[in-house]
Amino acid sequence: MELFPIWLSLRVAVSATALTLLAGVPIAWLLARRRFPGRNVLEAVVVLPLVLPPTVLGYYLLVLIGRRGPLGQALGAVGLELAFTWGAAVLAAVVGSIALVIKSAQAGFETVDTQLEQAARTLGRSEWSVFWSVTLPLAWRSVLAGAVLAFCRALGEFGITLMVAGNIPGRTQTLPLAIYDRVQANQMADANALALVAVGIVVVLLFGLSRLARLRY
Amino acid sequence: MSAAALRHFRPLVLVLAWLALQPGAAPAADPPSLTVFAAADLTFAFRELAPRFEKATGARVTLVFGSTGNFAHQIRQGGPADVFFAADQSFIDTLIAEGALLKETRTLYAQGRIVLATARAFGPRLTELRGLLDPRVRHVAIANPVHAPYGRAAEQALRNTGVWDALRPKLVFGENIRHTLQIIQSGAAEAGIVALSVADVPEIDSVLIDAAAHAPLDQVAAVVRRSLRPELGAAFIQFVSGPEGRPIMKRFGFRLPGEL
Repeated sequence: MELFPIWLSLRVAVSATALTLLAGVPIAWLLARRRFPGRNVLEAVVVLPLVLPPTVLGYYLLVLIGRRGPLGQALGAVGLELAFTWGAAVLAAVVGSIALVIKSAQAGFETVDTQLEQAARTLGRSEWSVFWSVTLPLAWRSVLAGAVLAFCRALGEFGITLMVAGNIPGRTQTLPLAIYDRVQANQMADANALALVAVGIVVVLLFGLSRLARLRY
Repeated sequence: MSAAALRHFRPLVLVLAWLALQPGAAPAADPPSLTVFAAADLTFAFRELAPRFEKATGARVTLVFGSTGNFAHQIRQGGPADVFFAADQSFIDTLIAEGALLKETRTLYAQGRIVLATARAFGPRLTELRGLLDPRVRHVAIANPVHAPYGRAAEQALRNTGVWDALRPKLVFGENIRHTLQIIQSGAAEAGIVALSVADVPEIDSVLIDAAAHAPLDQVAAVVRRSLRPELGAAFIQFVSGPEGRPIMKRFGFRLPGEL
């Protein structure tokens, strides 16, 4: 069995989850705690990736980051190519999964009692400190749940990846693409083995996280 | 975050960092490598052809199979293909007009044929398209005629036989020809129309449909303009349509240029 797709997918899913947390948690906090113009628009944009069919979303992204796309040309000007690299697979996974982190974390932040945050402020804590020592610890489980969903979604991402990263064996063929390819080629034993690996990864992850979630933040 | 919790996280963070920092795939190895974007109906034939080409030339071949339409979008956006084997000539001609493919390398490498396929589990074996009207045949699978070349051919054949309108309520569409095959293989549809090149599977029986019943399925290939090794791509096209490739293509159900 070829191991490359497994490592690539792990790398892509881990990188994508880290990025979705980095970008998603602040957006979730904004949506939960601040009223600003365009907030409703932002909320709609956030869930858009869940609404559009992945291959269509992939096509739009490709048009954006491809050689002729505006972003692709800007990147090309500084010698970078994102389309059809493993970075494109990460981008695909981020786009496909960030809504899950944002909505889950937002719900978590919204349930945090603002009086507790106010109390921290009266004790002289900065906004930054209030977030890290009050809001995030109390919403911790929601954020974690969002991260788990995002990781699983990233690990299973298919349609967007197929379009923006291609399905190039040994370069951008992630686990789901490899499984699909094996099924298409009638190599069911290989396909089943890889599918089992994908399931195994998630089982191990959930087992580890169930222990982690028991920790106090 | 408390210090205790941080300690618990440290190994996890390290693992994450390690995984994230792994380099991408190793750069292409020493022998020149050729990336081939090929229509899904070529899967079986090219898996056999590519190793022979590698042996003959010392080049490494990476085969990528998928939908001709997707590949066209990707090549337009700088997709890393050296050569493109489409299931349909129209995509190639569009890309040539746009300057993404090299006109002088355009080659008709095969003509596709379609077959009437019956799931073995179904029982009676259909021998002609009219047999699809049998009420025991509850679903008929064809590739989506809107975008799949084999689906278009299937529609033409059904129209020419005069059964298209009667069959419409029974039709189910596969995304591509392999997907269509899977619908019949699984028994979800009792029968359907697929490419001869993918029909050799144990779960189905198939009967060739007269080539005159549909417009020719001309499959055309061309070298990508951005390719760094266009001569190697051209060599692969030559190989497929030359004395080494022809018998294999023929065995996998393609008609060949020159014997049309």
